[in-house]
Formats: sequence, C-alpha cells, structure tokens
Amino acid sequence: MKKYLAIFKISFAQEFAYRLNFIMWRLRNVMQIFLIFFLWNAVFTDPTRVVFGYDRGKILTYVFGILIMKAIVLSARTIEVAGEISSGDLTNFLLKPVNYFKYWFSRDLSSKALNLGFAASEALILYLILRPPFFLQTNPWLIVAFVISLAIAVVLFFGLLFLSNLIAFWMPEQGWSAQFLIIVIFTDFLSGGVFPLDIFPLVVQKILYTLPFPYLLFFPLQIYLGKIPVTQVWGGIMIACAWTLILLAGLKFVWNRGIRKYEAVGR
Amino acid sequence: MDKAIVVDHLLKNFEVTEKKPGLVNSFTSIFSPQKKTIRALRNISFTVESGELVGFIGPNGAGKTTTLKVLSGLLYPTSGFTSVLEFDPWDRKPEFLKQISLVMGQKNQLWWDLPAMETFELNRAIYEIPKRQYEETLDELTELLEVKKLLNIQVRRLSLGQRMRLELVAALLHSPKILFLDEPTLGLDLIAQQKMRDFIYEYNRRSGATILLTSHNMDDLMDLARRVIVIDEGRIIFDGALEELVNRFAKEKIIKVSLLREDDIKRIEEIGKVKKLAFPEVILSVPRSTTAVAAAELLQNFPVADLTIEEVPIEEVIRKVFRGEGKKKLLK
Repeated sequence: MKKYLAIFKISFAQEFAYRLNFIMWRLRNVMQIFLIFFLWNAVFTDPTRVVFGYDRGKILTYVFGILIMKAIVLSARTIEVAGEISSGDLTNFLLKPVNYFKYWFSRDLSSKALNLGFAASEALILYLILRPPFFLQTNPWLIVAFVISLAIAVVLFFGLLFLSNLIAFWMPEQGWSAQFLIIVIFTDFLSGGVFPLDIFPLVVQKILYTLPFPYLLFFPLQIYLGKIPVTQVWGGIMIACAWTLILLAGLKFVWNRGIRKYEAVGR
Repeated sequence: MDKAIVVDHLLKNFEVTEKKPGLVNSFTSIFSPQKKTIRALRNISFTVESGELVGFIGPNGAGKTTTLKVLSGLLYPTSGFTSVLEFDPWDRKPEFLKQISLVMGQKNQLWWDLPAMETFELNRAIYEIPKRQYEETLDELTELLEVKKLLNIQVRRLSLGQRMRLELVAALLHSPKILFLDEPTLGLDLIAQQKMRDFIYEYNRRSGATILLTSHNMDDLMDLARRVIVIDEGRIIFDGALEELVNRFAKEKIIKVSLLREDDIKRIEEIGKVKKLAFPEVILSVPRSTTAVAAAELLQNFPVADLTIEEVPIEEVIRKVFRGEGKKKLLK
C-alpha cells in the first residue's frame, strides 16, 4: 500500500511540472461549460418551461454536475499506457516488483484529486458569476446510490481506457487513434458529457443503457437529480457492476496475451 | 560456488511484419502483411557463477540484448530452460525482481521532469527498502559515482553522463544480487566511460554482485570482464577467458623486426604480410604454424638488429569479432 501512496505522490508532483498544460486543460473545460451553459440558458429562458423532463434548475445542475463528474471520472493518466507500450518504456515497470494496474490506478487517483480540486473551485467561481438555480438532492438513499455509482464509474472508466490502450501491443503505431475514438467520441458523447442522454428517442436510450458508457457520467448524475425511479437505481448499478467485471476480466486476459507479444521494443 | 544463472538450450524467435517502402506497399501491407520469423537466439547454453563479471560481445543484432531480456523476464522464450537465482525469470515474482536490475544505455527510468531524488524515493517504496539501508546505499552510491550535488536538479537539465550515473544509482538502490548492464557506456565521452568502468569494477568487487554486461566498447570488456561470451547470429561461438579468445581466434602472430640497413626491404613481403613499414621498423603478420620458420628466415636473410614475436593485440581480435569476422574462424 505504501508503494502506491508513493506513486500517488510522485504523480502529483509530475502534474505540477506541466503547470501551463494543466491550466490550459482546465481552461478548456471551463470554456466548454460556458458554452453549454449559455446554450441551455437560452432554451430555458422561461423558468417554468420543462423540456425532456428538465426544468431550468435541473439542466443547469446537470451542466455543473458534469464539470465535477468529468473531473472525477474522466481524469486519468492511464491514457499514457499505449505510449509506454509502443516506446518500450513499459520495460521499466516489468522489471520492478510493482503491479502495473495498481500503479496506473494510483496515478489516476492522483490526477483525479488534482482535477477535482480545480473543478470544485472553478464550479464555485462559475456559480458566483452565473448564479444558476441549483437542485439539491435531499434523499439520503439517492445520495448513497449516487456515491456508489460514482465509484463504479471510476473503475469502469479505468477498465475501458486501459483496455483500449492495450491495442498498442498489437498495433504500436495505431494506439493513439484507438484512444481518441474511445475518449473523445464514445465517452464524451455516449456518456452524456455533451448533453443529457434522455433527449434521445426511447429505443436509443434502451440500447445505450445496455452499454457501459452511460454509467460513466449520465447514470450517476441522473441518480443525483432524482430522475431515475428508486426501483431502477439498483438495477442500473448492477449492470454497471457487471460491465466493470467484464472489462476488468477482459483487461487481465488481453494484458496476459499482450505481454507475451511485447518484445520490449526500443529496449 | 553456486550457479547464479543457468541457461540451457534457449531459443527465441520473433515475428516481424515486413514493410516495403512506398505508398502502394504501405497500403497492401495493411491487408496482407508479410510475416517473417527472426531467429534471435538459436540454442544457447551457458552458466554463470555467483559473483562473476561476464562480458557479452558480438556484432549488432547478434542476440546479446535479447539474452539479457530473457534473463530479466522481459521476453518469453520460445523454448529452452532459464533459471536466474533459481527463479524462472518469466514468472517475474516480486522476490525475483527485488534481486535483479537491468540497466539499459538508452532507456531511462528517472522521471524526466522531476529531480532524481524523487525517483529514488519512489524506488525505495517500490522495492520496500528499509530506511536505514536505503540511506546507507544512497550515500555510498552517490559518493562512488560523484553525483551528490545532482540529486535535486530536474533530470531534464542534466547531461547524458550525469544522467547515466544517476540511472545507475536508481538501479542499484535495492542492492541487486544480479546486475544486467546493456551498453552502459553508450554515448558517453571518454572520461565518463572510464568513470563508469571504474565504478562497475568497484561495485562488483565490493558487493559481490553477479554482473552480465553487453558492450560495443572494447575498453569496457578489456577493463572489466575476465570471461567473455561471444554471440553471433544467435549462437554462442566462444565462452571463456579473454586471453584464451586471442589464442583461439588469432591464427596469426606478429613479428616485429628492427633492420640495420634499408636495402632488401622490398623482399621482406615474401615472408609475411607487411602491416607496417617504417624503416628501421617493420611489422609482419605470419601464420601461427610457420612463425618459427619465418623468424629464422628473417634472421638469415636480412640485416636484423632486433626481433620480437608477439600475439595479435586483444583489441584487434575483439574488433574482428564485432565486425562478425569471428564466426568462421572460431567455428573451424
């Protein structure tokens, strides 16, 4: 355990070495929130208006919630795994008595901690500037369910991202495009990072709910907003759990295959 | 003494996809990649006693690095048996990994954006080194390698030589029993090379660690390794003492003569291959079996002031081995 705490620390220090990069990345997030905020603000100029089951308060809470959720769920360093595999830097870790998955999970957690710190202060500032009406969940059961689903989302994303990075074992040059596809298109879009998924037709929503993506951002946030009937909350959590287990098992399987294939290229 | 490393009939094949240059070929290679099997190691066997310092030599692509990678558990052998400290390297058990270290001249483990000290602290945690032992080792290593002042400088700001020395510190903090060094002097200037060699020698003597080293640098081997293993095209073609390599390889001897007069100097070419001709000194290389005859002829027919018979210098032998000329002669 101490090992992984040390990894957490050094990773944290590393993030600070690229201050400018980090600030630009946060700035991008803030700009995005502004954009989405004003878009929805325009749609809901009439405070009594309800679209897709959202009133003004809920949609704006959604937008702010996404900012925080992204910091927690989508902030990850695991994206560097593919690069390490194709450059051969993976070698350094294979030589050490350290669990590679736990290593990256520690680094992810460190990245999440940092991003969450920033996202929280950004949200506060944005809140003070924009003064949106906020929706506060008061049902303790839903809050518990929200926290659980959030924790699952973190592991689920870890599995998804790591797995997509392992493509580099077989296609060292293609690693980047695979990640791009997974991160930018699938996750952001299909997990509700851009807009709430319930504006899709019901059939599409049904299909989406059988996939892992909505469980990353949309589902936990829906629980918080109280938009999912309590009876369906645990069912959804079960599906998210199942996906997590499938992905982690797949990760282990693919890793063991890949590592045999790994030729410690570039030494 | 106990065997630190046992390698028996080790085979390693790689599958590579061949890509021909050009746009059309890149395109066709997506659909029908040309697979080719490279036989990197073909049936290699050797053992290393604990505490030995062994040098691996051979031309590029001979299989030196592949051998080290198999021994440190990075590559899965195609077939054959390997045992390092009685572990199967491929299992990569933590107890095994805690006792070995692989240093590669062109791969670094130091965190680029942070001072080396941060990496050291991380390694302390990863290898679970007790604090006292860690501080002692760190102190000793930084002293020996003269890097005490560099510990708190961002790694990216250091020179290659400084970085390599810090890499060594990082690799040795857990006091490995076996050290694999792949081209440890690659890219270093002459002084830095010498420092590195002195350190490796000293470390082997002090700690009693088993060291396997590959190098392209002749000086590395001459200074360090008592025993050399010559690999070429995935086969071991020589395994023994450095001096013996010369005896076996060098089919010729060197005769140095000092002449009194310059007259018949042209005729001297009939006796042997002239390597250097700068009156009064002439250096000839002659086949081993006829050395005595050649010397006698020289003494009889030329105005010789002085004559010595020598072995071919070790550097030359190694140089030939690197060029891949060793194989044919050694196999005979």
